[in-house]
Amino acid sequence: MKIECTIDNKHLLLTINSNKPLNLILMEDVEGMPLNSRCRDGNCGNCVVLMDDEAVLSCLIPAFRLKGAKILTFEGYQKTRFWHDLERAYEDSKNQPCPRCIASKTLIFESLLQMMGKPETGDKGDDVPNTETILSELRLNTCNCLDAEELIEIFTIAANYRRRRRVRRN
Amino acid sequence: MYEGIRSPAIHMPKTMGDLVSAATRFPNATFWAGGTYLMSRHDYYPTRDSNDIISLSEIPELKKINRTDRFLEVGSMVDISQLLSVGKQVLPDLLQKTLLSMATRILRKQITIGGALCTPDLRLALPGSLAVLNSEVEVRTCDGPRSDSRWLSVSRLYDKSGALLLARNEVLTRVRIGFEQENFSTFLSAGNPMLTPSETVIFSLVCSYSQSIVHSFRFCFTLPHGGFYISSEIEMLVRGLLLPLSPVQVARITRSLSLEIEEAHQPISGIQKERIRRFFESALHELNSQSLSEQ
Repeated sequence: MKIECTIDNKHLLLTINSNKPLNLILMEDVEGMPLNSRCRDGNCGNCVVLMDDEAVLSCLIPAFRLKGAKILTFEGYQKTRFWHDLERAYEDSKNQPCPRCIASKTLIFESLLQMMGKPETGDKGDDVPNTETILSELRLNTCNCLDAEELIEIFTIAANYRRRRRVRRN
Repeated sequence: MYEGIRSPAIHMPKTMGDLVSAATRFPNATFWAGGTYLMSRHDYYPTRDSNDIISLSEIPELKKINRTDRFLEVGSMVDISQLLSVGKQVLPDLLQKTLLSMATRILRKQITIGGALCTPDLRLALPGSLAVLNSEVEVRTCDGPRSDSRWLSVSRLYDKSGALLLARNEVLTRVRIGFEQENFSTFLSAGNPMLTPSETVIFSLVCSYSQSIVHSFRFCFTLPHGGFYISSEIEMLVRGLLLPLSPVQVARITRSLSLEIEEAHQPISGIQKERIRRFFESALHELNSQSLSEQ
C-alpha cells in the first residue's frame, strides 16, 4: 500500500503493508528514527508520538490511518518552540526522565500542557489538570525513573512557562 | 524480514449502504473501529492470515450523538473522550465513572464505544455498566439486499461465558442509553483487564429508592474472561427492603451472592471471589451511608 504522510515535517511516500503498526514503520521504514519500542501491545508506553498534534501510542496506529497525517516524533518535537518549556522545566527541577523514556514522557507532558483549559468532561474545570490526571496520564509509560512528586514538579514548572508564553502571544 | 506477508486490502465505506455492500462482497473482512484491542494482541503483526479490513471511521452516521427526552443515542464510532465531553448533565453518573476509568485520556481518544463492546474474547468495563443501565444496542446484519437491523439489550450481546454473540456479517451501529433517574450508583474495579484478566473484577451497581424503600436494584460483575455475572435472585432479595440495611441483612445478602457465584461461575479465581464479596459488601455499606445522610 502506498501512503503519503508527513513525518517530522518531511513529506514521505511510503510503500508498506496496510496494517503495519506505526512504531514498526518508524523503526524500519523511515531512516534516522531512533524510536525503540517493540512491546507491540500498548503496555510499555515507550512509543508515544504526536499525530495531528495529539499524543498517540504509535504501536496502536495502523499504516492505513496515516494517509495525510502529520506525525511528529520526539526528534521533530525538539525542533519546535514548545520543547523549550519542557527543556527548561527539566533544568529547573534538576530532574530528567531516563534516556529510554524521555521521548514518551515529554510527549505525554506536552499533551497534558495542551489539555490546559480543555477539560474532557465538558464541564468548566480548572485551567491546569489536577495531580490525579497528570499521574494517571503519565502511567501510560511504565518506566519508573522519576517518582510522582518529581513528575508533578516538572509539569508545574512547564505549565508556568507555557502560560507565560500564551500571555506573551496574546 | 516480512517475506510472504500479505498486505490486507482496506475498504473505507462512506455510507451505511457502502458498508453493507462491502461487508457482503468481503464476508471474511474484519470490521475496524478504533483498533486498540486488535492491535494490542501479540499476534497482530506480522501474521500470514490477515483478513481484509473494513474501516468504519469514514461513516458519519456512526459518529453521531443524539439526545432526546428519553434517551441518549450514541453512534458506535464515537470515542470515549467525545462521549465524556457530552457532560455530567447528560451522562448517567455510573457511565461517567466507567468511562473515566477506561485507560488514559490519550487512549480514550482512540477507543470507540462499538469497539469496547465488541472485543471478541475479553470483556471490559463498559458492557457491564451499560447492561446495568438497561441500555440497548442496534445490530445491523450486512447480508446483501436483505440487510436489516434490530435492537437488543447489551447483556444479550454475549453468552453466559462472556463470548460475543455477533455473527461475522453483523455490525454494531448505535447504543441507546436511557435517562432513568437513580438515587445511587457505584463503579468499582480492581486489576487490569488487559494485563491480569484472571484477577480483575469490575463492578457496576445502580439503585433507586423512595422513602427509604428500595424499588430498583441492579448490579453486574464483569470478569474479563468469565463474562457477566448478573443475579436476578439477589436483585429480588434487595428490592422492597428498608434502608439502611442492618448488618445482618448485609451479611445475609453477601453470603447468598458468594454461594451463587460458587455454584454458577466456573472460571473464577480465588482473588476474584474475594474481590466480588468485598465490592458487594462495601457497595451496600455505601448505599446505607447515603440513605442515612439523606434522612
